[in-house]
Amino acid sequence: MKRTLLLFVALSALVLVLVGCGDTSALETENANLKAENEAMQAENEAMQAQNEAMQAQIEEGMAMLAAGTLPTGGEGSRLNTVKERGRVICASRDDVPGYGGIDADGNNVGFDIDLCRALATAVVGDPNAIEIRLISAAERGPTIQSGEVDMLVRTVTWTASRDAGWGNYAQTMFYDGQGFMVRADSGVTNALELEGATVCVTLGTTTELNLQDFSDQNGLGITVATFEDTDAVVAAYDAGQCDSFTNDNSQLAALRTALSNPADHVILPNTISEEPLGPVVPHGDDQWFDVVKTVMAILIYGEAYGVSQDNVPSAETGNTKVDRLLGLSGAFGQEELGLSQTVAQDVLNAVGNYGDIYDRNLGPSGINLPREGGRNALWANAPCTDCPKGGQIYAAPLR
Amino acid sequence: MVSAPRILTYQGIPVWRHVQIIQWAVQIMSGIVVVALVVWFFSNMVGAIQDRDIPSGFSFLSREYQTPIGEHFLPYDSSDTFLYALMVGITNTAIVAVAGVFLATALGIFIGVSRLSTNWIVSKLAMVYIEFFRNVPLLVQLFFWFYIVLELPGIRESVVVADAFYLSNRGFSMPWPTPTDYTVALIWLGLAAIAIVAGALVYRRQARMEEQTGRSGYPLIYSFATAIVIGAITWLVLSFATGNSPFDISVPEPQGRFGNIVGGFTARAGLMVLLTGLVMYTASFIAEIVRAGIQSVGRGQTEAARALGLSPMNTLRNVTFPQALRVIIPPLISQFLNLTKNSSLGGAVAYSDLTNIAVTMTQTAPAVSIFMLIMASYLAMSLTWSLIGNIYNRRIRFVGG
Repeated sequence: MKRTLLLFVALSALVLVLVGCGDTSALETENANLKAENEAMQAENEAMQAQNEAMQAQIEEGMAMLAAGTLPTGGEGSRLNTVKERGRVICASRDDVPGYGGIDADGNNVGFDIDLCRALATAVVGDPNAIEIRLISAAERGPTIQSGEVDMLVRTVTWTASRDAGWGNYAQTMFYDGQGFMVRADSGVTNALELEGATVCVTLGTTTELNLQDFSDQNGLGITVATFEDTDAVVAAYDAGQCDSFTNDNSQLAALRTALSNPADHVILPNTISEEPLGPVVPHGDDQWFDVVKTVMAILIYGEAYGVSQDNVPSAETGNTKVDRLLGLSGAFGQEELGLSQTVAQDVLNAVGNYGDIYDRNLGPSGINLPREGGRNALWANAPCTDCPKGGQIYAAPLR
Repeated sequence: MVSAPRILTYQGIPVWRHVQIIQWAVQIMSGIVVVALVVWFFSNMVGAIQDRDIPSGFSFLSREYQTPIGEHFLPYDSSDTFLYALMVGITNTAIVAVAGVFLATALGIFIGVSRLSTNWIVSKLAMVYIEFFRNVPLLVQLFFWFYIVLELPGIRESVVVADAFYLSNRGFSMPWPTPTDYTVALIWLGLAAIAIVAGALVYRRQARMEEQTGRSGYPLIYSFATAIVIGAITWLVLSFATGNSPFDISVPEPQGRFGNIVGGFTARAGLMVLLTGLVMYTASFIAEIVRAGIQSVGRGQTEAARALGLSPMNTLRNVTFPQALRVIIPPLISQFLNLTKNSSLGGAVAYSDLTNIAVTMTQTAPAVSIFMLIMASYLAMSLTWSLIGNIYNRRIRFVGG
């Protein structure tokens, strides 16, 4: 009984005021009291708002300081610090498209996108294996990066203006892709403009859906779509003849064709109906992290441009100022300001290789064999000369 | 024990021992906790949205959607707005939900009654059905049906019956009435509804007469005749008056180099797979509900009915089942809700249900707003089922003491 008493002391304290001295209009008093309570809460709310505004002001002050360059880099709540403390980089990616994001025989995540994540992990944490891959569907990409629950989104994600505005910041185009069509060879279709009245299989929640509609509308093709949530189901449906054609980015079509029951029976049409620059995305609102990711991508590209590949990373000065600056042997390109180690490029290139190494391993001869030379995904120029164009578009902000 | 000071007593009892006061205190406390939690969740969400600059708001609803929708029962064009596209999605989901509920209920009752059959084989088959479909995840079942449908012949090798019914791995097509002129069709549909009401009135009148006089009133025959005659006369009058019959029969036909079916009504593969999966899955639960309901009716009822000379079928139809309904309806409604909500798995098998369409929308519109709209839509659909269920439940409950 004593215990019950103790238990309810707190509760009764609250209603003490309501009760008065044994009068019978307790309920009315109570009502009035509730009202008072309500008002009190409102007041509290207002107080909180005021507090919020104060915080806002503080933030603005901080921003001003940042702009003026008076704030030290790597503030308390920065993602770079969070990642360093956590000891691993969390990337959202996939495991169902060979070459970009797949699984090897030992069950490891491998692929072009995965290697970009490994490069970032090497740069920030110092270990290419300090990654955590969150597997997400195409439709989950926006909400995942918006919520900031992952450090980087690398899942064959096309750079578009509305995504840049709504999802997160695109760091760098790492692969130039375009949407195309695959059809059965025996259908006799040789051009996408002949797809009038066709049923086309497409993955749910991708730009391919939008491009397909534009293409169909522009050319009056009256295409019907079948939209599937996951890639395996699309491939199975197309393979079984549920669709006349299958549309996706050309690179993925090439990769997925290998999964069909008889790849030789299918052709990829020459038309490319869209621009699909693919690259890593970081959450909005952390400029430092955004810059770190951009720099790591640039390191991969300049590694190849300067001829530094995984098996020949020098550890002593070479005399070539560009190479020495890249590798942190002399000079700097902003490592300190970014919160990265002086020799970050050495670590990255040693661990995962340069852009060309990553391409060859996953998309090139040892991967799904997508030709690179002469295409858009070649470098803009080759080392050591900068004026002998290679005709490609892979280019990054100079590291100096 | 020291007696409490007067200020701490109410009706002569210390406040902390006064049952009424304790109850009120608990109520108020829990009220405050709930309100505080809701406020906290909501402000947290709004705060997060503002912090991360996540776009929100609903201005996108009037923009053009410009995205394809695979299957749509309302006419849809890529220049329609987001709002209209959402309506298309709601209609798609509603069609699966309503068709699924009817089929699942029919199948569920059949299986549930079979489960109680005295025939050993029938009863065991029903048991196997129930245990299988109830215990395998719905998504797995959907993929199972998806791959079964893929095994059907391709579009060029369709199974054709009477040049009008086509079955292939892309779907099932059949002839379907299509309005020649929407106004005429609508007028006739209105008149047809009146004809059905008239038929129902005739049925009631004849049935009452049969009950009171004992002479056969043939209520079914009379009511159908009334409805059909009124329907036919209005059809003919409208046809002569406008020179157009309200509906034409559109026959499906393969067209173009890909041989895709045009005309008629086509249930595409996605709809077939989703509907089959939902019906088979939900029917297993409904069967168990029906079995439990029938078994809840006292044994004396059945024995009395049999003793009066009613056949087993008549006993079930007129004695056991009506009483069982009172037990069956509430859990049945919750199965309807489940079926409606489970239809959101349609995206896995290429059916453009509300969720599928809305998820695609997040590509070009704020995800938070869209998911709020989806939640509201499903909530509205579920509440509609509950409302229908409650109305029906009130009608069949025990009257009087």
